[in-house]
Amino acid sequence: MEGQKARPIWAVLTGPYALFLVLLLIVPFGSMAVLSLHPYSPTKIALPELTFDNYRQIAALYYVRLFGRTLQLSLVSTVICVVFGYPLAYVLARARPRMQTLGLFLLIMPLMVSTVIRLFGWIVILGRKGLINQALVALGLDPVKLLYTDTAVVIGLVNIFMPFMVLPLMAAIERIPPSLEEAAQNLGANWYQMFAKTIIPLSLPGLVSGCLLVYSLSLSAFVTPALLGSPRARMVGQQIYDEVLVSFNWPIASALALALVLLTAGVMFFALLATRRATQPKGAR
Amino acid sequence: MSRRRPWLLLPFVGAVYIGLLAPLVVVVAVSFGPSPNFDFPPHGFTLDWFAAFFASSAYVSAFFRVSLVVGLIAGVLATLLGTAAAVGLVRFRFFGREALETFFLTPLLVPEILLGAALYLFYARLRMPASIWTLLWGHLIICTPYVIRSVTAGLVGMDPRLEEAAMSLGANRIQAFFKVTLPLLRSSLLSGAIFAFIISFSDINLALFLSGPQSTSLPVHLFSQIQWQGDPTIAAASTLQIVIIGLLILIVQRVFRLRLMV
Repeated sequence: MEGQKARPIWAVLTGPYALFLVLLLIVPFGSMAVLSLHPYSPTKIALPELTFDNYRQIAALYYVRLFGRTLQLSLVSTVICVVFGYPLAYVLARARPRMQTLGLFLLIMPLMVSTVIRLFGWIVILGRKGLINQALVALGLDPVKLLYTDTAVVIGLVNIFMPFMVLPLMAAIERIPPSLEEAAQNLGANWYQMFAKTIIPLSLPGLVSGCLLVYSLSLSAFVTPALLGSPRARMVGQQIYDEVLVSFNWPIASALALALVLLTAGVMFFALLATRRATQPKGAR
Repeated sequence: MSRRRPWLLLPFVGAVYIGLLAPLVVVVAVSFGPSPNFDFPPHGFTLDWFAAFFASSAYVSAFFRVSLVVGLIAGVLATLLGTAAAVGLVRFRFFGREALETFFLTPLLVPEILLGAALYLFYARLRMPASIWTLLWGHLIICTPYVIRSVTAGLVGMDPRLEEAAMSLGANRIQAFFKVTLPLLRSSLLSGAIFAFIISFSDINLALFLSGPQSTSLPVHLFSQIQWQGDPTIAAASTLQIVIIGLLILIVQRVFRLRLMV
């Protein structure tokens, strides 16, 4: 081993994980794609002939509505993440190192705790006798039904995925020299004008990656709608889970999963296309 | 830094931190409260729910025999796989290197729920019964990219001349790596290993599909307990997880740049 140089050391080093990914990522998704083309059989998982029937089935109104709801809830969550995430990203990017360290710890620590636990906390907060309703009653108002509604799902999605919006935005804002802000303000812009004309355009790439992360994570959310949402208003992730583990209709589950992958990839593609167009200099704006 | 920043930003900043931290505070408070109905704020103090946690064989097995074991093994194996992969990617030049680098980070982009479903169907067709091993293989896929990321950052920030110096003083490539490079990579290795452990320890999306009756992980057990309206033992188990993860993140922040990890 030592005397003669074994040439492709890199292959020995990268090989194991590459093999792992091929076996446990590529092959399972590939076999899922194949499964989605076989008709469902209640006794034998799937029949051998090939068909597009599963895709025709998920074009039914029920599934189209399901995808529509999922897209809508994800969009609302993403927009709220932008509105609340931008100010935090700016403050963190311009904070002194000590404050930034603390701020990042408080942002990343909750992210690492299991989603189930964070959602359990939200159940206690939003419940019929939860913190919010206690406060409303104390103020002399009527309690409201929050838990098991779409509102609760959006609150959950926003809070679970917020760090994925803040971190890329913060990284993008940090790259903008503070002198640009000063220049804009010295030239007479107030802070809000400066933010709109300097910070937002220059941090656009960070905004796009934050939005894509939050949107695609929300599209495939399962635990949040399962714990906080109404059983009658579901998201695609829950449907896939049920088709796999409850009704054992694996061909339909595979078709739904592939449709979700394609939808997510489509959203990403168009978002990236749009930003490329927006960031390309096309005359002064 | 003398410019004034509008106070209007502060309510947004406060709202985000309240939204992130309030659920954790509530969970910890409920775990010490005497009421079985998750009353918050708690009226009193008790350790009964922690006693109930340690008395419940389902909780103890999920925590110590599944989640902790799978997390530790996943942490060690992901560190080995990820370190080797990162060294191969950073220290060598070969055709398709960048494509391979992208390929190695794809597990972070694939929706976990779909990866879980795909693996479940794959195992089912191979007739492999669910066990802690099926869970472990799934976790290795999603944990290793974190190690690759931190070790890559460590390697890129290191002067390659140190290794060359060792080699010019007579060490061979392997000796130079183990005597010079590896000790210098200590903190990024530790951070990567800790993150791999945390990702496995707190994962729910893969575990929902890959846990079997004998290998229910803590998050999956908590998930079913929440759905069946369990008692604040849920909160006690959660508090233990929050404390463990909080301490581990503090260690990462001490030895490494935390922001590179996410």
